[in-house]
Formats: sequence, structure tokens, C-alpha cells
Amino acid sequence: MGALIAFVFDGLRAMCRGPRLYWWWLGLLLFLIALGAWSYLTQLQEGLVVTGMSDQVSWGLYIANFAFLVGIAAAAVLLVIPAYIFHREDVKDVVLVGEGMAVAAVVMAITFVVIDLGRPERLWHMIPYLGEFNWPMSLLAWDVIVLSGYLLLNLAIPFYVLFHRYRGREPHFGLYFTMVVIAMFWAISIHTVTAFLFSANASRPFWHTALLGPRFIASAFASGPALIIIILQIVRAVTSYPVKQTVIDLLALIMAVALQINLFFVGVELFTDFYNEGAHAASIHYLFLGLGESHSLRPWIWTALGMNIIAVIILSVHPLRKQIRLLNLACVLAFIGIWIEKGMGLVIPGFVPTPLGEVFEYQPTLIEITVSIAIWAFGALVFTLLAKAVIAIEMGHLRHSSGTAVPGEMIS
Amino acid sequence: MARWGMVFDLHRCIGCNACVIGCKQENSLPDGVLFTRTLSEEYGVYPTVNRVYIPTLCNHCEDAPCEKVCPSGATYTRDDGIVMVDSDKCIGCGSCAVACPYDQRNELKADLFKNGLFGEGELTPFEEQGYIRFTPGMVTKCDFCSGRVDEGLDPACVVTCPTDARIFGDLDDPDSKPSKLIREKGGRAPLPEKNTKPKVYYVNWTT
Repeated sequence: MGALIAFVFDGLRAMCRGPRLYWWWLGLLLFLIALGAWSYLTQLQEGLVVTGMSDQVSWGLYIANFAFLVGIAAAAVLLVIPAYIFHREDVKDVVLVGEGMAVAAVVMAITFVVIDLGRPERLWHMIPYLGEFNWPMSLLAWDVIVLSGYLLLNLAIPFYVLFHRYRGREPHFGLYFTMVVIAMFWAISIHTVTAFLFSANASRPFWHTALLGPRFIASAFASGPALIIIILQIVRAVTSYPVKQTVIDLLALIMAVALQINLFFVGVELFTDFYNEGAHAASIHYLFLGLGESHSLRPWIWTALGMNIIAVIILSVHPLRKQIRLLNLACVLAFIGIWIEKGMGLVIPGFVPTPLGEVFEYQPTLIEITVSIAIWAFGALVFTLLAKAVIAIEMGHLRHSSGTAVPGEMIS
Repeated sequence: MARWGMVFDLHRCIGCNACVIGCKQENSLPDGVLFTRTLSEEYGVYPTVNRVYIPTLCNHCEDAPCEKVCPSGATYTRDDGIVMVDSDKCIGCGSCAVACPYDQRNELKADLFKNGLFGEGELTPFEEQGYIRFTPGMVTKCDFCSGRVDEGLDPACVVTCPTDARIFGDLDDPDSKPSKLIREKGGRAPLPEKNTKPKVYYVNWTT
């Protein structure tokens, strides 16, 4: 117990120590969070009317970010599988950084849903027994379960592993292996459930497709590694933490395949909807070509498609992918491209036209944008603090003073 | 127990929108919020062109998609088939608005209750009374004027309609006016392919 308290305090202490750059970074994030908090206060007072959302387009930028971030969170499994199942030592070195990213992404995703609520203070109505938790019927109820479960798993596994390392012991294989296997399936489930949240709506033909689940997984496994590759390079640049190039090569290869599959899926959707264009293709028509005077998403989706195509070319050609600058370019392009494609490009057309055939466009307001930026900053803050502690312990800077002193304890 | 439903006779509707206003008054709806609306559609080819008015409201579906998706159990169905929203339980997530195939959900944003219908930052005594049943931030809809129905009255839109285009009654009673109309004139449910089993039917649909 004493060791546990010392572990937590040492971890917190590691978060509070860093060079000047570290503090500037934290300061910037806190500034952005403060700006967003101020905007959110306005939203709480005035209601969702300060957003661009309406009765017709009832989900907007917030839910777009939510859908994207659940994918990022799920992508951590791409480090977890090679590290724990295939025992790749190079991946094992960085797997905790990936799990830190998953924690940050889930926290962001949950925050995005909560700020999208008209009555956030009534969330307790969803607590079983206290309120009425409409499970298993409501997909949102499912999402609450899988997201909070994934958050717990991604906190528990690194905590367990790090605590043992901190005390200079080997973690108990059977225990963490079981948790890792659960986490693997859980990662797929969080993104499938999120896709079902959309595809369950029979009244929205744009989402009501069996391809949505697979498309979510494919785009997650492209955008997630893109972010991890960038993060790992930053970690390598600002700390002396060993990040092997082989990890980045592995992630780049996974990303290449996932992005190819994702673009294939986009093509399949385009063919199916446009070859014999029926009434159900109105939303995709709005997205790619616009409906009459309404075409605010058109430039965005073509930009996203262009970015993804350039990224997939770089990633698919081996000599190009091996060049770190081009790889970074591909990561940035794919990350933004998928953020557009499965964020606003997925959420908004579901509402345009409405089931009654009317066209209402959506434009996020400044408040929505500042709040969204603040949540991303908050996620970056969570990740930075977690990564700081993880790296300190992994590098061996932090060790419990009596860690290896008592041989008898080694057996337990 | 009755099973309340409504029939729209499209040959009778003249698109006067009196129902829209009747509903708004009865339910004291804030600015921009309508529980019933009248759509209009043109059909035919010149020179035989016609216009039909299609009144819409919540269809009180037997298999209500909005009730299914509601995460906090705020949307529920009464024994008499009226689909209700509990204004104390709604967390305002908007899932119902997304799920409804008929676009019949309204988000009551907080500022509506602050500025009132006249946008002057204060409420009239009428508004103060009327808004008590709502809570800002909730997502609500038509409830067939359940309070009136409990007293044995017809919903406000039905009473207001000058041409009797809206017919309200018990669908389980084969002798009720709506049951007879549906049987004799071939009542058509809106978007039957959505499989939500609406309790609102249209007769004389000629588009």
C-alpha cells in the first residue's frame, strides 16, 4: 500500500518536473482550455442555440470530433497486439505511450459527447438504478458502457505494468495478458458501437449502410497510426526515450494498408450510390456535388479525398514511405483528410436533406470551434502528463526505494 | 384502453395552417418551435397540375425509433399509445431527433425561454405559465395534447381545423371515425417502409 502511494506521488512529481519548453507547452494548452471553457460557459447559459445546430441538423462539429476520436482511441490496439501478443520488443518499448494516447482520445471523445448535450447536468439519469439506463436498446447507452470500459482498461493495464516496473518486478503474465486480450476486442467494439450509433438510424439513408462499421475501423487504423507516428517522433526529439525506427516502419505499413482499404470503401460507396442514383443518394450528392445552392461541404470533401489519395500514394510506394519527411507529410495529410471525411463529412450529410426533403445547411459557430479546440488541448494535456510519468518510469528514473531489496517479495 | 390515432383527409386540407397556430397556442410553444406543420407538394404535369397540403405531426409510432434510442428512458409510450417525453429525464442528447424518420423532434434551446416570443428578454405572463411544462435544453415533440385527451377532449389542432381534415379517435374501436375512414378509404401510413407502425394515417392521397 505504501508503495502504491509512493508510486502515485512519484508519478505526479514527474509530471511537475520538466524543461522550460515543457512548461511553455502546458501553458499554451491551459490557455486554449481556458478560452474554450469561457465559450462553453456561454453555451451553458444560452443553450445549444449558440451553436450552428438546429432541429434539422441536430449533430454537428462536436459529434464529428467524437466519431473521429473514438477511432483514434481504438487504434492504440495496433501497438497493443504486436507488443503483447507477438512480443515485439521494439513495440513493447512504446506501447504505453500508445495506451496513453488511447486514454487521452477516450477522454476527449466522452467530453465531446457531454458538451453536445442540452442538459449535461442530467447525465445521472443514465446511471442504472438511480435513473433509467435504456440498455440494451439505446445505442448511446452501449457507447457509454464501451467507452468507459475502454478507458478503465487503458488505465488499468499501464498502471499495473508500470507499478511493477516501478518496484523492479516483472508483471504477472497471466493477469495482464488476460486484460490485453479483453482490451483488443474492446477496441474493435468501441468503434463498431460508434458506427452503429449512426447506422442504426433507418431514417438516415446516408448512414444506414452495413459498410459504415468496416469503414470506421479502416479509417481508424489509418488515422490512429498517423497520429502515433507523429507523437513518437516528437517523443524521440524532446526526450532521450528510445523509439526504434522499426516501430515507425511497422505503423507506416499498417497505415498504408488501412488507408488503401478505406479509399476502396469510399469508392464502393460512390459507385453504389451514383450508378443508379435513387432518392437515398441525395445526401451523398449533397456532400460531393451539392444540392442546388447548398454546397458548403463540397470543397471540404474533395480536399479530404485529395489529401487521402496523396497520402496513400506516398505510403504505398516503399522508397517514398522510407523517407521520413514524406512519411510525415502523408501522416498529416491522412490525419486531416480522415478528420474531414469521417467527421463533418459523415455527420452533416446524414441530415441533409431532412427526411421530409428540406435542405438546411450547417455551419459551426465560433463558440463550437473554440470549445472543440479546447477539448483537443485538454486531450493533449492529458496525454502529455501521462506520457511524462510513463517515460520517467520506463527510463528507470523512477524506482521505488525498496523495490528489489526484499527477495521474499519477488515470488508474489 | 383506447389506442389513440389520427387520420388526415388530404382532400379536405386547404393548407390554412390554423392547426399549426392552434397547436402553438395550446402548447405555448416558444419561438420557432412547431409540433405540427403543413407541407405542400405539387403534382401532375402542365396543364393538369395540382397542389396537395400534407399536414404532419408526431406519428406516435407503435415501434417508435425515438423511444428505442433514448438513453435515459425519457421517451416512453403511455398505455393508450401516446408517445411522451418526460421533461425531467431528458438529457438533451438529440438521439431521438436523429432517429425520427419524420423530423418531428424539437430541441428547446435555453435562450428561447429567456427572450420569449417577442425577443425582449422577458416573458409575458402567458409564456411564464406555458413554459412550466418544458425544461430548457430538452428535446420534445407533440403529445397528441395528452392533457386534453385525458379530459375527453380532442387535440387542439383537431378542434381548430375548419374543414375537419384532422380526425382523431380510438383506432382499436372499429366504429370510431378514424377506424372507419382508414378501412373504407384505404388509410396510408407515412413512410411505411420505415416499419415504425405510425398511428397517424392519410386518406385520399392522390399525388
